[in-house]
Amino acid sequence: MIDLLTTHYNYVASILLFGIGLYVVMGSPNLVKKIIGMNIFQVGIFLFFVTTGYVDGGAPPVVGHGEETFVSPLPHVLILTAIVVGVSLTAVALALVIRIYDGYGSLDEDVIKEVQVDD
Amino acid sequence: MQLLLYGVLLTFVVFAALAVAFLRDILSAIIAFAGFSFGVAIVYILLRAPDVALTEAAVGAGVTTVLFLLAIVRTVRPGGDRLFERVAWGPAIIATGLVGVLLTTVRSLPTIGDPTSPVATSEITRYYLENAYPQTEVENVVTAILAAYRGFDTLGEAAVVLAAGLAVLVVLRKEVYV
Repeated sequence: MIDLLTTHYNYVASILLFGIGLYVVMGSPNLVKKIIGMNIFQVGIFLFFVTTGYVDGGAPPVVGHGEETFVSPLPHVLILTAIVVGVSLTAVALALVIRIYDGYGSLDEDVIKEVQVDD
Repeated sequence: MQLLLYGVLLTFVVFAALAVAFLRDILSAIIAFAGFSFGVAIVYILLRAPDVALTEAAVGAGVTTVLFLLAIVRTVRPGGDRLFERVAWGPAIIATGLVGVLLTTVRSLPTIGDPTSPVATSEITRYYLENAYPQTEVENVVTAILAAYRGFDTLGEAAVVLAAGLAVLVVLRKEVYV
């Protein structure tokens, strides 16, 4: 198990981020923190993808300066797109949270459920 | 040396994420999240992905943090004296289970930096690295793929951003600006 930390360290870290992100989304009663948890989960996936493209001794994928080996550019492109889409998702989610707060006067999941039952 | 640097950075990243998970005050959690994003951006630089690192630092640590701050300005921060939240045991057990199951699969992945890994030896990677400059005259292959080969993908991304902006305006009842 320990040898994984010296050969697969980034994969282990991204799996830990999956776990932490899932815990925050499920366990935190606060809606804003749930969205932060979703972002942590996303970053875990980004880290996983970018790590798959890495090659030992590879240069950043900028050609024409004499390097021979490069890291794979394709995961980088996919993750660039994913980061921007992730921010759009966060913006819409936060807008919905603000409207929920306007309607219920609370960001606490349990309080919102109680208000719904009372209605 | 490289391994030590990764060790320090990844430990920082994971502990920053844990701080986000257990800090009770939302403002503290948001600041911890900004630190977390910067840590990840430095890991991307070590992975030779400068474009991703710049985007993560500007968009992940910058814009996302500002969005969260704008959201808590318009809502409320939980009161109380406790610094940390109580552990929610049910979700903690489920998350630990997920981590445990996924960790058993890590061994079947290629080691980090392996030049014979499927991604590094893939036909697509080789094609882009060899043809990007002759075909597009852009030295940065990431830019060449983003703007030329996968230009429609990026157009779709721009459409997503537009849709998200409109959705925020509609949800917040600011349609007058549309």
